[in-house]
Amino acid sequence: MSSKSLDQRQRDTATVIAGLGPHGERAVPADQIQLTAADADQARARRFSVAVVLHTTTSDWSKQELAGIAATLGLYSAALVEVVDCNFDVELQIAALNRLAGEPVDAVISIPIGNARVAAAHRSLTQSGRKLVLLDNAPTGMLPGTDYASVVSTDNFGLGQSCAAMLSAHIPQGGAAGILGYGIDFYATHEREIAFRKWMSRNRPDVTLVRERFAELDFAGQAALTMVEKTPNLSGIFAVWDVPAMKAARALARQGRDIAITTVDLGNEVAIDMARHGMIKGVGAQMPYDQGSAAARVTLAALLGLPVPPWVALAGRDVTPFDVIEAYQVIWHLPAPKAIIDSLRTTSEGQS
Amino acid sequence: MRVADGKAALRSVGRPRTVDAAQASLALLLNLVRTGTATTRQELERSSELGRAVVADRLATMIELGLLREGELGQTTGGRAPRHMQFRQDAGSLLVSAIDQSSIALGIADLNGQLLVEHHEAAQLDAGPEAILDRLATIFEWLLKETEKPAPWGIGLALPGPIEKPAADFETVSVLQTLRSWQDFPFLEHLALRFGVPIFARSGVQTMTMGEAKSGGGRGLSDIIYVKLGRSIGAGVISEGHLHRGAQGAAGMIGHSRTGDELLEAIAGADAITREGAAAAEDGRSPYLAQALARYGEVSVVDIGHAAQLGDLFCVELLGRCGRMVGEALAPLVNLLNPALIVIGGVVAESGGDSLLAGIREAVYRQSHPMATRDLQIMRSQMGASSGLVGAAQVVVEELFSPSILRGWIGHGSPLLHPDFQRSMERYSEMLALKTATPTGRASP
Repeated sequence: MSSKSLDQRQRDTATVIAGLGPHGERAVPADQIQLTAADADQARARRFSVAVVLHTTTSDWSKQELAGIAATLGLYSAALVEVVDCNFDVELQIAALNRLAGEPVDAVISIPIGNARVAAAHRSLTQSGRKLVLLDNAPTGMLPGTDYASVVSTDNFGLGQSCAAMLSAHIPQGGAAGILGYGIDFYATHEREIAFRKWMSRNRPDVTLVRERFAELDFAGQAALTMVEKTPNLSGIFAVWDVPAMKAARALARQGRDIAITTVDLGNEVAIDMARHGMIKGVGAQMPYDQGSAAARVTLAALLGLPVPPWVALAGRDVTPFDVIEAYQVIWHLPAPKAIIDSLRTTSEGQS
Repeated sequence: MRVADGKAALRSVGRPRTVDAAQASLALLLNLVRTGTATTRQELERSSELGRAVVADRLATMIELGLLREGELGQTTGGRAPRHMQFRQDAGSLLVSAIDQSSIALGIADLNGQLLVEHHEAAQLDAGPEAILDRLATIFEWLLKETEKPAPWGIGLALPGPIEKPAADFETVSVLQTLRSWQDFPFLEHLALRFGVPIFARSGVQTMTMGEAKSGGGRGLSDIIYVKLGRSIGAGVISEGHLHRGAQGAAGMIGHSRTGDELLEAIAGADAITREGAAAAEDGRSPYLAQALARYGEVSVVDIGHAAQLGDLFCVELLGRCGRMVGEALAPLVNLLNPALIVIGGVVAESGGDSLLAGIREAVYRQSHPMATRDLQIMRSQMGASSGLVGAAQVVVEELFSPSILRGWIGHGSPLLHPDFQRSMERYSEMLALKTATPTGRASP
């Protein structure tokens, strides 16, 4: 491989921001959003109050996102006064936003659940004079500046490309790869799937792509089995996030199948599977702590009246079975659980 | 004999044939409901000046065709509460795309032009028409299937550079003939045939102007100017509620006006700005850009905008000067058209921030009549590339529901059954079959 094509490959995977923003914006990398010493002093003097509205607070991703938000807000003497868990319920989110529009908070950081249905509630929160920073996506039709201050998200397009590149190594010439897609209109998973398909069609036109969708997580395993039955020469699967990936891995294992899987996010189970050299061969991981921290800085900048970019993006991180411990530390800001370290030791001893 | 003919012609003046009259009244009523001008039977009778029986008959026909449905009960004015008629915006969908030099945007909209889903990605125009066509078709097909939207009724397309007006309804034109790889490629015909729907193309600047007027800063205003500052510089004008396209469709190319001895876009376009930024990075006039150059190996407009925001004097001055040159080109338009709003978009505007806007304001206010600028607002676009998609959807809505085209299909319930459109599809397939039969020696990318 020439040095030029290596460059190109690096550019094609998640080392830089590959996607465009919700309105086609060019990304501003999250590390460029910094408060100066004077801004920080001003923020501390004003003691802002911020609320966070999340789809769930129980996932690893949400916990880290919250940790990043809380720690960064705390640095600038801003109080995180409320965290709303919407439990994936659109109505709960609408009610929470409408209530917050009358509460003494200066800003809200929210992850919109469902596309158009929550747009009006988000818009009215901004109209109530509170600053709104969105995580992951803006509902179609909402505009930066008028309806919200900024969107802070991972480069989902880049994650899809990474997963395709990592899976490609496991697909023989002329083979088939499957996509385990989410049957709900959801921006982030759309972007990942489009990017996966684009990378494959550009770099591996020999590979046949098949797809099964699941609308509920409990059906993800079955969808993977269906795919394997329909396409006997299937050599790899891309699952649009880690939980369905593990459901697929378990369902396939029960049938005695071993198929390479790549997916998004380094959840605990996925990390252990990789450490054991199981079916998960690669992960494009979001950095939720860093994303939370960036969202907090953007929120403070917006509260101080500084211009904020409409789209702030973070590149994902590629994780392979060989660097799962280090990646775990970087992504989760924690030591890797003993189970992962032990698995890796056992596997490497077994191999040696 | 000639005399008799003349008499017959005279008698038919003002008395259209029954079929024509039915189509005309259907079209009129549909548009009244669709635009919300009149929605109850009583309002429809009053606005259309048609009799009660005719209105009742036409509404029943359109409910049967799936174009209208009975909606909620309205306010009573004594007696029974009237029922509002609703246009079925989900009877079909619209595919929209905005193609630019280095990116493509795609979306699906409903029949009111409301964007339902959108996607943006990097793409190189000079990769050639086949590559772009393939990408558009792949994503449109995927989006339609994925989001389970109704079958499309039309495609709205925004392309860089001026787009000629077609000779007749459903006729297509050649696009992007200035690019060698696009020459003689029947792009619109291919796309129309692939999806079996009519296609309507406009310049990117014109669709962005329409998008800003529908959903952006120009919402509710009838006189706006949109300026796109990218590698090229162009303007779109909406005057008294209508997009001004010009005789050939080439209105708004202000990048071609002279500033001194140079074309405006050659000294204030993205390429010129990047060039000056790179020079300043190399000779040390801009410490920030020197760092950017060392880190990325190049300087982009985004870096220059960011540097200006951080107070890099060279970049503040560069963007301010660029803004003043653009403002000088805009001032005559302000004097001529008296707009209520100027929206500045494009990559330079997105990155350029306050310094650029200040430069534009300075020149426009200095060189325009005070009355023309009394309430004039100059703002940066908030819609980004989405304005092109919203505008493209608006183009298709205006075309499909324009009285002349609407009358041709309303009796059939769908524009896909318009006789002229069906004839044009036959013509496209014959033309493409002919092209395939006699290969021109073009190499695919």
